[in-house]
Amino acid sequence: MTSRYVGAVSSVTADDVPALVEGAKFYSPAVGDAGWISMVSWTTELLRRNGPVVLVRPDAVAPQTRAVGLCAIGSGAALADLPPAGDEFALAVREVEHLTRRRAGVVYPLAAATVSALVPLVAAAQLEVPLLDADGMGRTFALIHHTSMHLAGLPIGPLVARGATGESIALSVHAAARADTLLRGGVDSLGGWAALAAYPCTAGQLRTAALPGTVSRLINVGRLLLESGDTEVLIGRLAAVAGCRRIGRGRIVELEHLSRPSDVTIPAHPSSVVIDEVGGHGRLMRLELRSEIVAVFADGALAAAAPDLICLIDVLRGELATLDSLEPGALVDVLVMPADAVWYSAEGLAMVGPASHGIPLDHPRRR
Amino acid sequence: MTGTVRHPPQRRSATAPLELAELLRVEPLASADAVHVPDPGRLVHQVVLAETFERLGRTGPHALVVLHAEAATGGWSLAAGLHATWERNAAAVVVPRPAMSASSVILAQRLGIALLVIDADPVDTSLALAGQVSAPQAARALRVALCAERLADQTSIRGVLGVLNAELAPAPVALIVGRSVTAGRAAALQERPEHRQVRIEVNGAGGRPWAELVARVPGTTAAAAGHVESLLGLARLPLLAAWAQARLQTSTQAVQERAAFQLLRRLAGDPDSDALPRSRVEPHDVAAPSWASDLGWRVEGTNRAVWIGSAHGAETEPAPELTELVRSAWQRERPDWPIIADADGWVSWQNISADALGSDDPGDDIDDDDTGGADTDGATAMRRVISAVGKVARRHGLVLGIGGAHAGIPGLMRSVEQARLAAHVARDGGPGTVQWFDGVGARATLAWLPRGQIAAVAELSLPDLVAARDRVSLVDTVLTVLDCGGSLSQASTRLGVHRNTVLARVARAKELGLVVDDPNRRLAMHVLCYALATLWKAP
Repeated sequence: MTSRYVGAVSSVTADDVPALVEGAKFYSPAVGDAGWISMVSWTTELLRRNGPVVLVRPDAVAPQTRAVGLCAIGSGAALADLPPAGDEFALAVREVEHLTRRRAGVVYPLAAATVSALVPLVAAAQLEVPLLDADGMGRTFALIHHTSMHLAGLPIGPLVARGATGESIALSVHAAARADTLLRGGVDSLGGWAALAAYPCTAGQLRTAALPGTVSRLINVGRLLLESGDTEVLIGRLAAVAGCRRIGRGRIVELEHLSRPSDVTIPAHPSSVVIDEVGGHGRLMRLELRSEIVAVFADGALAAAAPDLICLIDVLRGELATLDSLEPGALVDVLVMPADAVWYSAEGLAMVGPASHGIPLDHPRRR
Repeated sequence: MTGTVRHPPQRRSATAPLELAELLRVEPLASADAVHVPDPGRLVHQVVLAETFERLGRTGPHALVVLHAEAATGGWSLAAGLHATWERNAAAVVVPRPAMSASSVILAQRLGIALLVIDADPVDTSLALAGQVSAPQAARALRVALCAERLADQTSIRGVLGVLNAELAPAPVALIVGRSVTAGRAAALQERPEHRQVRIEVNGAGGRPWAELVARVPGTTAAAAGHVESLLGLARLPLLAAWAQARLQTSTQAVQERAAFQLLRRLAGDPDSDALPRSRVEPHDVAAPSWASDLGWRVEGTNRAVWIGSAHGAETEPAPELTELVRSAWQRERPDWPIIADADGWVSWQNISADALGSDDPGDDIDDDDTGGADTDGATAMRRVISAVGKVARRHGLVLGIGGAHAGIPGLMRSVEQARLAAHVARDGGPGTVQWFDGVGARATLAWLPRGQIAAVAELSLPDLVAARDRVSLVDTVLTVLDCGGSLSQASTRLGVHRNTVLARVARAKELGLVVDDPNRRLAMHVLCYALATLWKAP
């Protein structure tokens, strides 16, 4: 193994961006990367010009240091249509600073995955502050209050959503769940996506409220993905770094769309993928899809479910198979990665467990 | 057979649980789409309307689970529902159609759990099912009533057996006349462990046993055996009616059977039925057509044909009246053997059913009568019939030829040819003669000689001989001398006359043109004598 495993990456340079992007894709397997190719090259250029961003663990900075969480909300397709103007991330943080009357000493990702993994890196480079090696989800969830900070009791607001149009929405809510509802209409008017700065708090609070090491993990996983073309080797290494395991390998035999009724709380249509296991027990595996793979049934028994991170590896290509690239006949490995432990608590499961996706069954890790 | 049920029917408990198959016969499940039913004999102890997965988790074994509401949202829910019911050993899962998907069929097959799809409301369905399961006797009575309606609609034996087989599936039902299966599924006769046979006699005219209905019921469903019996009993009258109706139209039937036999012959790859004698066709597998069993013909397995022909060697088609006579005489003896007018005679055959042959491969020809004990049985039955109809044959101036036993339809056609040849040879023995093809040998060569034409030639070429008053004894004597290779002493012994008498007759025959000592003419004279002798011998 030639890649350098870094327990805690001390800084993120322009050369780290490709690995960070691969890792970000891996932790959000459902989402295609069409929307953020321009974002990646811009980030790389920014880091090359402004120099590396310092990456610190929450316990390595003074506990009183103010921190602001950052992410992109809205649709990835809208981001492709309407590229960022460049200042929305830094200005969103500035507006939160204005609302809280405190200067932010560090920024951190709300969700270290998808394009939201790049957003705080851009802001840190522009604001010239360190990036915290921690986040609120350890992957992505659908709603902005699905965070460990929310579970720890930290307030979501005041929060600011700033669009590429130069406009911004500042919100102050009593219940975190209301924030997403209130923002949705506004984000549509801002062009379909927005930079979100939220969860202003101190680094000391984040020592317990955030999930540590998730940014450096992205880079490490991304390096593995960039390096390996052999599926077996890749899965073995991912198991070591990310704790994932393979549920089974099989051929996609059926794609079912709109396979169950949908509710309105979480966007994206429900659909299913049926996989005929090759070898092993020859099980019939059923993947339930929403904006991600939310559950895997093996012969009708729930084998894995959200908040587990479930992804498909295209065996022939040795790379991740995104949900919009699936087609019958493809040979795939079904990988399951445990989410951070906080998500398997009763409160965590109630928020992001299978029941939140309309599957009222006990989570396999809780049975 | 582990147990045979006969009248009066066994009483069964009114509360014996229903089988899945029984529920599938009556509404609401009769209109359900049975996607996968691995074991129709599964007992159903209760009906569970499962709205949630929590309820599914509390389901007991042998339950009929109706998925509803949250548990029937489609996609994953049916897969999870199938798994949960499989874990709890449920009898079947009923699911509303919107929740159904193609992959669920595969999963049901993998888990081996019965899956039924309904279009009706699941709550109404489960209520109706719960009513049926709680009162099994009422559900059975309803089923019997529905079956009786369907049976009453049938006009053919095949139709009646079709209804019975559909109704009692997976238990096979067969109608047996004599020892052969006339209609239905022959599997009913095969003995299996854990199965028992239910037999019902069907009496024909005059209360005499005509046939038997046999069903093979899985032993685990002993409670249903009595039910099977009542259904079989219900089928008796429609069967008799169908049979009687067929018998009423004998003349139509005769024509129909004749045409059908020609068709059968074509099937066997022998399209030219008038080419005599026919060259043997290579036997190959020809599946018995369904209309053959409609006519009550059994052609599977090994068959042995009988040819009935006129002793006088009439080359024309027999009169319809004679056909009727032969038919009625034949049907008195063996109603289960067909009798069909064909060319210059009638053909019938004995179906030596496959099980009587034991382990013999039915594809093998069995040419020799005395090879196996089972085959000898077939020959014995044939001899019994022949001796019974012998008197009738004598009275009507008929001869019988019996072919060898051969497998399949091509084998049957071959046997028919052999029987016909044997019958021609049998003409030498006069009316009532029975000739087995196995005993014919080379003499069969002479069977097809156009004796009438040879006699006509004799009238032209040997007018003096034909006009002579003692022509019969002259021709007989010359024929015997030729048969004995010219030995006068042997000929005199065979004829029972003095050697000098033989010598005198030969001399007189020579005067009349019957020259036997000319090598150039000897074969012609021998054939001529044979033809004239057999022709004149007949009354």
